Amino acid sequence: MVDLLSLVGLIECKDRNVDSLREAVKEALELIDYSFPKAKRIVIKPNMCYYWDYSTGQTTDPNFVAALIEMFREEISPDIEISIVESDASAMKCKYAFKYLGYEKLAKKYCVNLVNLSEAESKTTKVKVKDEVFEFLIPKVIKNADLRVNVPKMKYMTFTKISCALKNIFGCNPYPKKFKYHPKLDEVIVALNKVMPFDLHFLDGLIVCGSKTLKLGLVMASQDPVAIDATAATIMSVNPKSVGHIMLARKEGLGNLSFKIKGADLDYFRVKYPKKGLSEKIVAFGYRVVCALGLDKRLI
Amino acid sequence: MAKKINLGIIGLGFIGKVHLRNCLSLKSANVVAVADVSKKALKYARKLGVKRLFTDYPELLKQPDIDAVIISLPTHLHAPCAISAAEEGKHVFLEKPLARNLNEGKRIISAVRKQNVKLMVGYPLRYFSGFVNLKGLMESGALGEIQIAYAVNIAAGPFFHRAESAIPRPVPEWWLNKEMSGGGVLMDLGCHIINLLRWYFGEVSKVKTVLGYRFNFDFEDYATCIMNFKCGTSAIMNVGWFSQNTAIGVELFGTMSHARAYFSPSNKAITAIKLILGRTPKFFKPYLKELSHFINYISDSNEKQLIGEDALKDLEIIEKAYKNQIT
Repeated sequence: MVDLLSLVGLIECKDRNVDSLREAVKEALELIDYSFPKAKRIVIKPNMCYYWDYSTGQTTDPNFVAALIEMFREEISPDIEISIVESDASAMKCKYAFKYLGYEKLAKKYCVNLVNLSEAESKTTKVKVKDEVFEFLIPKVIKNADLRVNVPKMKYMTFTKISCALKNIFGCNPYPKKFKYHPKLDEVIVALNKVMPFDLHFLDGLIVCGSKTLKLGLVMASQDPVAIDATAATIMSVNPKSVGHIMLARKEGLGNLSFKIKGADLDYFRVKYPKKGLSEKIVAFGYRVVCALGLDKRLI
Repeated sequence: MAKKINLGIIGLGFIGKVHLRNCLSLKSANVVAVADVSKKALKYARKLGVKRLFTDYPELLKQPDIDAVIISLPTHLHAPCAISAAEEGKHVFLEKPLARNLNEGKRIISAVRKQNVKLMVGYPLRYFSGFVNLKGLMESGALGEIQIAYAVNIAAGPFFHRAESAIPRPVPEWWLNKEMSGGGVLMDLGCHIINLLRWYFGEVSKVKTVLGYRFNFDFEDYATCIMNFKCGTSAIMNVGWFSQNTAIGVELFGTMSHARAYFSPSNKAITAIKLILGRTPKFFKPYLKELSHFINYISDSNEKQLIGEDALKDLEIIEKAYKNQIT
């Protein structure tokens, strides 16, 4: 397979104030030669994981989303309708996450909608990945959006190695008991990206949680989820070709593994990123073994 | 050989399961029954060998052979359950805080007095060796007179990510509802520290508070209290629900010297291994000691320490702290 060249823009941003971030995301878009489309409805999908504060590096900084809102209103139209979306999960309820993580305040300040996808109007849709047909409820708010914007974090994950742009779309599945998908996580992640393709991906790498929490000061943008995930994996010292959902997404035509990185030096972020040491790798392996043996129930 | 105490455990949430595991390792007690609304929790107890399982706690309280109950229910259920248990003639070990408010607390105390049963409230910090040693050091005179104390209890609170697990667990709804919990972090963690400081210094004469709301809850998620004790000691207490890394500690500054003790969970991997092997991790050892104390307390008519009235005084301080806010 010959990959076409995608672009990934890297910007260093040390400040989390909205003005600095707005400039950073604009610069990142310039690096990838992005032209703003005509759009009436935008959907923004941040990463809300449990009820962890942005300062843990686990969840998207509401200031990052505020910067995007300001930029889209400046560049596209001040009247554009913006919805911030998330769905309930096994251990997280949107009604609390929106409030505790600061999105309720943000929505009030910028007059944007907060949508719990688990309660939103949806339509059943089938999608085929690796000769297997999956069926999902697809929320109309995402289906009908003119521009879909993904704002993931970069994290290590026990069962998928990394979590970034592709994995964040897993959270657009309205079904709350998401653990049922764990046996086929790679396929389901790719299926959801296939049925709900997002147009723009901004990585919030201001604060990251690798082996420890660290201010990395990274803003990344791309139109290609495979390219941005592969770049994130490289920064995290994970071989992108060893990540099942990245390789499957590429195979399913969702993006390219050949890409050009523009802007800040990738190596600067790769060296700085708090990578997993041997002890963390042993613990992660041990946890997978514990789960495989069904002993994780004893940890309750 | 003394008769073994027959225990019933009501509520098998996180701390209820800790109590269940600890009770099973007590030689002087039998766990004869458990009650919980969750069938999954009851299945967990059955696997550990508990025979009588109830989804309705009044049914458990009717069991004539049960001497005492351990109540680890949401705070809004403390008063009805503890009062019912007392009325059925059961001794009561009740998880902290005693109740949602002073009024409910007084009703519990009144019921246990009337029925002549014993009540103990779960304050495991009094059983942590570091804090016990600190009290010994203070009482020995080695620190002189304690003029200033600093105490802290910072954790994740409702967002408690099980130290030993990689997957977040759902937050019980009652914890996010002030009507059910009775308050925020001042109630949840503040009661631990207030109780510990009262154990060190006696009664509080004055309290003032600053409350904080980082996570936009309907109740405080961090608080600073300034307390003056009748003995002349001043203390600052910081409590919070904002950190993924637990810190529980006390520092004492006396006219001769100073000393400190901090209580932290052990390494995640070691905790997980101990749980898998069915052993008690370091963090839960004080919980085992307090249950052991409870069994001695109900077996020994002379045992006076940590009776229920003491927990009522903690609630009084908390109510005063809510009233006396520094704005």
